[in-house]
Amino acid sequence: MKKFLLIFIVLIFALPAYALDGTQLLKQIDRNLNPESFEMYRKLINVEPDGRKKEFVLFSVKKGLDKIAALFLEPASERGRSTLRLGDNMWLYIPNVGKPIRITSLQSVIGGVFNNSDILQLDYAAEYDVMKVEETGNEYLLLLKAKTKTVAYDQLKLWADKSKKLPTKIECLTEAGMLIKTLYFKEVKDFGGGIVRPSYIETDSPLYKNYKSVMIFAKIQKKDFKDEVFTLTFMPNIDSLRK
Amino acid sequence: MKKLLLYTLLLLFCLYSLVFAEEYKFELSETEKKPYQLGGYGEFRPVLFGLDRNAALYKLKFYNRDEGRRIEEYNFRLQLEGSYEYGIARIFGRVNGDLSHTYQGWSDETSLYEGFLSLKPSNSFTLDMGKKTLKWGKGYAWNPVAFIDRPKDPDEPDLALEGFWVLSADFIQSFSGPLKTLSFTPVFLPVLERINDAFGTTEKANLAAKLYLLLYDTDIDFIVFTGGSRSTRYGVDFSRNITSNFEIHGEFAYIEDFQKRYIDSNGNILSSTNDTVSYLLGVRYLSQRETTYILEYYRNGTGFTKGEFQYFYQFVDRAYDNYLATGNDAPLGKALNLSQGNYGRPNPMRNYLYLRISQKEPLDILYFTPSLTTIVNLNDPSFSIAPEVAYTGITNLELRLKATFLVGGGETEFGEKPNDYRIELRARYYF
Repeated sequence: MKKFLLIFIVLIFALPAYALDGTQLLKQIDRNLNPESFEMYRKLINVEPDGRKKEFVLFSVKKGLDKIAALFLEPASERGRSTLRLGDNMWLYIPNVGKPIRITSLQSVIGGVFNNSDILQLDYAAEYDVMKVEETGNEYLLLLKAKTKTVAYDQLKLWADKSKKLPTKIECLTEAGMLIKTLYFKEVKDFGGGIVRPSYIETDSPLYKNYKSVMIFAKIQKKDFKDEVFTLTFMPNIDSLRK
Repeated sequence: MKKLLLYTLLLLFCLYSLVFAEEYKFELSETEKKPYQLGGYGEFRPVLFGLDRNAALYKLKFYNRDEGRRIEEYNFRLQLEGSYEYGIARIFGRVNGDLSHTYQGWSDETSLYEGFLSLKPSNSFTLDMGKKTLKWGKGYAWNPVAFIDRPKDPDEPDLALEGFWVLSADFIQSFSGPLKTLSFTPVFLPVLERINDAFGTTEKANLAAKLYLLLYDTDIDFIVFTGGSRSTRYGVDFSRNITSNFEIHGEFAYIEDFQKRYIDSNGNILSSTNDTVSYLLGVRYLSQRETTYILEYYRNGTGFTKGEFQYFYQFVDRAYDNYLATGNDAPLGKALNLSQGNYGRPNPMRNYLYLRISQKEPLDILYFTPSLTTIVNLNDPSFSIAPEVAYTGITNLELRLKATFLVGGGETEFGEKPNDYRIELRARYYF
């Protein structure tokens, strides 16, 4: 009986400690992917089954846990469009329309496999709780559950390299466990300033058979911004942050 | 053997790297910022109109000519925009050029849509001076609180509009807590002989201001306009996501001493002055199948009643009969002037419903979006219904095929328009 009680007590203390480890691990993965506040450039490429491509170039700035904005630089048809995310709020500014409109995380402003939440990705730890951590060979497998209903994917399965603590693959799932898309993190590269992370993400989806999308990263730099940058009124001026 | 294997692996790796580099190239030059930017688009838009020869506005337009049952129109547009940035200063300009061939022959028009100098000494403060569009309001098809914008066309709400000459500023402040953002935008708008004279009474100074709050995840604007060119008006609008895929928005405008000019069936011009209220309520919903629904109700307090509009149609019919009997087209000329003024503005009556349904990439066809839009005049009731398909799969090329059918009986808004249907192709190339 005593033994049973002892095991029970150890388990009670061990479970939160394990959950805490998972959360710490996820936070570590977030920090290894990006500094908390930074700027970067990305190229998004949608590849159709016949090999045709459509490319987009974006400049993005992020601050803290819940603020991120992105500006389209190319192609010409999208130039000047910007998107802003403040927590669960997302807006799209189109120069011709002239005013920001609210958008949702599951929409895609570019078409293809990447949606708005992929483009305006916050820290994983800000949006997800760690439900379980498994160790498989050289990798961790983290099972993540969305903190709120407003998050684009209800569940994530995140595989991370044990030594680098960087994601290698993420499966995005619905509440019912249906696979929406898979993200593959590839080509770890030194961006300078201590940022060593995958330099591109490839994604495919059973919802878009034979299509794939790629996100290539460049010039990731730690940088601090004023909160006023992440406001609706500032959206037409995001280009002024580029040097 | 080992060496051969090693060389083969090395070769394969090099080939892979080459292929990879070819497939997913991201040159640093693509991220470099230039102090200047030039761009715009060129557009070709042929349109086919199916005429309604019994409609009042057909008689008004074609009373002295017979163009058959259908007419074609060829429209070309070139919109150029450019900017130059130096330190805290930026100059921006947008010029629109239209060239059209209609049943009346060739015509062209070039306008400066926007042209202003922007000074931004900090991220919290911007000062703009020049010609600028402000586009206030949250509505998609209509904006009753857009007090200092030209009215947009609900058939093409996304088109760029010509601005007014203004001096404006933006002050922005961010907070933590329920109030996340506060920004204040004061605007000075002078109306002189050749500056902003389309806005209202000339030789007057006008002031407008907008206070924006992001409060409890809701966008809220408080707007005021006062000055001698138009009567004083107050507005408020809001937009909020109820869930991640369901948004609601609204606008409310209170207009003091609004002067409405209308005619009776004999063509006598009458006038009334009243305080009036306009408002809009709308929702935007994205379904799991990625169908977007935009539904808006618009109460246009400045619009004409059903009776007032019927008087106009009766006047047109009388003027036309008079022309047939006597050959005198003066009353028709008067009616034509009215139709190019208040009676000819988009959606001139009081109660409207707007519904747009668009399906993103059905059948996994990337960049392909079919849509259906309807605008219903709830007073008549008459309506327009417009199916369209858009394709943006070729970089920088936008293709859209749209048909618009107008449905309504006699003395109704859509029933008395000069055409029964309109089919148009729009090919737009961005550069």
